[in-house]
Amino acid sequence: MNGIATRLDLGSRGSLRWMVPVVLIILLFIVPQIGGGSAFRLGEYEEVLSFLVIAVALNIAMGYGGQYILGITAVFAVGAYAAILCAKYHPAGIGLVPMCIIGAVAGGIGGLIIGLPALRVGGFYLALVSLFAALAIPTVAQEWGFVGADTGIPLYAVSGFAPKLSGEVLYIIVVAMVLLATLFSWALVHSRVGHRFVALHSSEQLATSIGIRAYRTKLLAILISSAMAGIAGGMYVYTQQFFAPGSSSVQFAVLLLAGMTIGGMGTITGPLIGSIIILGINQFFTSFQQYNGIVFGVLLLAFAIFLPNGLMARINVLNERLGIRRAPGTGARPGTPAAVPATVVPEPTASTAVTEKPAAQLPSWPPVLGSAEESPLVVDGAKRSFGGVTAVDDVDLTIVRGQIHGLIGSNGSGKTTLLNLISRFYTLDAGQIRIGSTRLDNQPSDVVARAGVARTFQSPKLMFGSTALQNVIPAVELRIRCSGAESILRLPRGIRTNRAASAEAAEILEALGLRHVMDRQANLLPHGTRRLVEVARAIAMRPSFILLDEPAAGLSPVELELIAEVCQNLARSGVGVLLIEHNVPMVLSIADTVTCLHQGKRLFQGTPAELRADAAVASVFLGIDEPLEASS
Amino acid sequence: MTLFLTALFAGLAVGSVYGLIALSYTVVFNSTAIFNVAQGDLMMAGVLVSYFCLDRWHLPQLLTLLVIIAVVVTISLIEERVAVRPFVAKPVVGLGWFIATLAFSLIIETVASIIYGQNPVVPIPGALGNGTVSIAGVHVATKFILAFAVMIVVMLALEVFYKRTWLGTAMRGVAEDREVAALRGIDALRISRLAFVIAGLVTALAAFVVAPIVSADVTVGLTYGLKGFIALAAGGFGSLRGCVIGGLLLGVAEQMFDLYVSSNYEILAGLILVLIVLAIRPSGLFGTRAVRQV
Repeated sequence: MNGIATRLDLGSRGSLRWMVPVVLIILLFIVPQIGGGSAFRLGEYEEVLSFLVIAVALNIAMGYGGQYILGITAVFAVGAYAAILCAKYHPAGIGLVPMCIIGAVAGGIGGLIIGLPALRVGGFYLALVSLFAALAIPTVAQEWGFVGADTGIPLYAVSGFAPKLSGEVLYIIVVAMVLLATLFSWALVHSRVGHRFVALHSSEQLATSIGIRAYRTKLLAILISSAMAGIAGGMYVYTQQFFAPGSSSVQFAVLLLAGMTIGGMGTITGPLIGSIIILGINQFFTSFQQYNGIVFGVLLLAFAIFLPNGLMARINVLNERLGIRRAPGTGARPGTPAAVPATVVPEPTASTAVTEKPAAQLPSWPPVLGSAEESPLVVDGAKRSFGGVTAVDDVDLTIVRGQIHGLIGSNGSGKTTLLNLISRFYTLDAGQIRIGSTRLDNQPSDVVARAGVARTFQSPKLMFGSTALQNVIPAVELRIRCSGAESILRLPRGIRTNRAASAEAAEILEALGLRHVMDRQANLLPHGTRRLVEVARAIAMRPSFILLDEPAAGLSPVELELIAEVCQNLARSGVGVLLIEHNVPMVLSIADTVTCLHQGKRLFQGTPAELRADAAVASVFLGIDEPLEASS
Repeated sequence: MTLFLTALFAGLAVGSVYGLIALSYTVVFNSTAIFNVAQGDLMMAGVLVSYFCLDRWHLPQLLTLLVIIAVVVTISLIEERVAVRPFVAKPVVGLGWFIATLAFSLIIETVASIIYGQNPVVPIPGALGNGTVSIAGVHVATKFILAFAVMIVVMLALEVFYKRTWLGTAMRGVAEDREVAALRGIDALRISRLAFVIAGLVTALAAFVVAPIVSADVTVGLTYGLKGFIALAAGGFGSLRGCVIGGLLLGVAEQMFDLYVSSNYEILAGLILVLIVLAIRPSGLFGTRAVRQV
C-alpha cells in the first residue's frame, strides 16, 4: 500500500503529504469490494481498524509526547473488558457509543494507574512498567472467572444483546471512527496542547523554560492516549462481540511498536500506514505466521537503525528536496518531531542567514508576565558546588527592570551555572533568589518561567522538526488564556487564541528579521539564525526579566548589531536583561551594570566605566597591573 | 510455618534468577547507558541449550555449563554488534536503542520457538542432583541453594571488578561521560563489547541455575526480562546490591502472593511491587542517583 502512495507522491508536484491520507481513505473504504465483503471478512477488517485507533493513540503519547507507553495494549484490554462486562450485564440498550465511552473512562483510569508512578522516573521506566502491565493483565484475566477466564466473554451468546449496526454500515462507521481519531490527533498536534507535547519531547529543559509543567503535560499525553485506546477497546468488543485474554497479548504491543516505527512515529499518517502493513501481514498472511516474528524483528531493527523516523519521514524529506513547501504565512505546518534526520548538518546559506538588519524600528515589548511592581530580581549570596568544585560562590547580583546587566568572566567562571540557578535547573546550596518578596529558589523551573523570567540556552534548544514559527508559538500561548480542549476542538476561543498566538509569534520573528525563515525547520537553520529564533522565543513570553546566555557567540556582525539593539530595546520596554557574553566590547557598550565572575566568585560589580578602571579585572584578564583605561 | 518457610526458600531461589538478570542489565547499562530488553530472551536461549544438552544429549553438567556460556555469550555479542553498536557509536538520542533491543528479543524468541515449538521445557536435573538439605526443619532443594549461591558470588565478583580493577572503573566511566572517557584513551566500543560479554556470562549462569527450577515455554523470555527489570527498579538503578535485594524481594513477594492470596494471580505481585516502589521511592530501595533522563 505504501508503495502505491510513494509513487503517487513522486509523480505529483503538489504537497506529497496530503496524497497519503487521501489514498489511505479511498483504500479503507473500498477494501471490502476488493478483499471480499462477507460478514466474517468484515469482522476481520473491523478488528484491524480498531487496532489502528490504538496506533493513533500510541502515536500521540509516544510520537509527539515522547512518552513510551508501549504497553498500551493493557489499557486497551482494560477498556474492552469494561465495555464488554457492561454489555453482558445490561445487554439491552447498550450501543456502540456507550461502549466506547465506558472504554474511554476505564482506559483513562488504567493509563493513569500505570503512568502516575512510572512518570516520576521517566524515560524507559514507563515503557517497561507498561509492558509488564500488558503482560500481567491477560495473564490475570486468564484465571479470573468474572471476566470469562481463558475462554473470554462471548457477547454474541448473551441473550438480549442485539447490536443495531452490522454489515457494511458498521464497517463504514468504524472506518469513519478511525478517520475521526486521526483527525483528532491532527487537531491535537496543531493545538496548544500538541505544541507543549512536542516542546517537552524535544527537551524537558526547553519546555520548562517556557513555563510548561512537565509532569502534568506528560500525564495529559498518557491520559489522552489511554482514553483513546479504551475507545478502541469499545470498538473492538462491539464489532467482534467477544473478548478474551488472547485478544491482547504483550506480543501484540510489540507488533504495534513495529508498525509505528516502520510507518513513522510523530507523523499523522505514518503509524496508520505502518500498522496496516504489519497488522495486515499478521492477520491475513497466516501461512508463514511461524516466521512472522523474525520478519517483524528484522524490519523493526532495520528501521530503528537506518530509518528511525519511518517511511513518512522519508516522504517528508522528499517533500523538502523537491522544494514543495507551503507559501510562508499559511499557518503552522505539522510539527513532526524528527521529521528530518538529525544527521543533516545545517549549512548557512544566503537564503536562511540573517544578512540584513530589519529596517523598521523594533516594536516595544513591555512585560506581560510577572508582577506589576517594578521589583528587581535579586540573587543573594548564591552558592553551588559540584563535588569538590564550587562553581558559584557567594554571588550577589541584582537585575533591575529596564536595565541591562552584563555578566562576564572567563570559561568556567560560573556564569552559566548562575543562570541555571536563577531558572532553577540547579538548586542552590545556599543563598536566595527572589523577585520583590517572592522567593524563586524554592519553586520548580516552570514556575520561575511563569513568574516572568525567560532565558535562552548556550547551545540553542529548539523543538524537533518544527518551524521557526512553531518554536515561538508555545511561548506566546503561555500567557494567552485558553483551555487545551478549546484549542484542540477549535471552539471559538480556541480558534481565536490559536490565530492570535501564531500572528504574534510571526510579528516577533519579523521584528528580528526572520520573516523569510519562519516556515523553515528551525533545527536546520544556520547557527546564528537559531540563536535569534531562541531570542524571539524568549521575547515572545513577554517576560519581566530575560536571561541571555552568550547570544552573540558565532553571530555575524550584522546579527551582533541586531542582538545589541534587541537588548537595548528590551531595556527601553521595561524588561530587566541579564546578558552573559564573551564579547566584552559589546557588553561594555550597552550594559548599565557589569558583574565580573572569576572562579565562581564575584570579582567586580559596577558600571562599564568603573570596570575599565578596575585594577583587579585587568590583572586577572590581561595579566597587567594597571587598569584597562590607563593601559590603552 | 513450614509452608511459609518453603515458600520463602522457593522465593529466594526464583528471586536469585531475577537478581541475576538484573545484574546483567546493570552491567550493560553501567557502560553503555542502554537497557538491554533482550536479556530475558538471552536467558531463555540458555535454558533451551541446557535442555538439549542434558535431556536430549545427556552431556555432563560441567560441559553443559560451558556450552550454555558459549552460546549465550555469542548471541549477546551478535546483539551488541547488530542492535546496540549503532547506538553506542553516536550519542544516545531518544529510545531507538530500546526498540532495537526489543526487536532483537523478538527475533531470538521466534527462532527459539521454531527450533523447539511452543511446548513447555521440562525441568532438568540440577547440577547438585535432586537432593534436599534440611534448613530450619524444611527440606530445601539443592538447586535452590545453588541459585542463591551463584547470585551472591556473581554480585561480589562484579563489585570487586568495578571497584578494584582499572577495566571496571573504565567501564563505569564510559557510561558516565563517553567523550571524557575517550579523551582518557578508553575505547567505548571495546568497553561496550566487553559489557555484553560479561552480561552474557551472568545471563548464562542464570540460565544454568534456573533450568532445573522452572518449566517454561521458550516464549517467556520477555516475562523474565520484565521481572528482572522490576527487580532492578525495586532495588535501585545502578546498584549491584540493589539488584540482589530487588530480585529476592520480587521472588519472595511472588511466593507469598501465591501462598496467602492466590496462586493464579502471581504476576500481580510484581506489578503491585513496582508501582508501590515507584510511588514511594522512585529511585528504588538502594538507588542513590536518579536515573538519567533519556
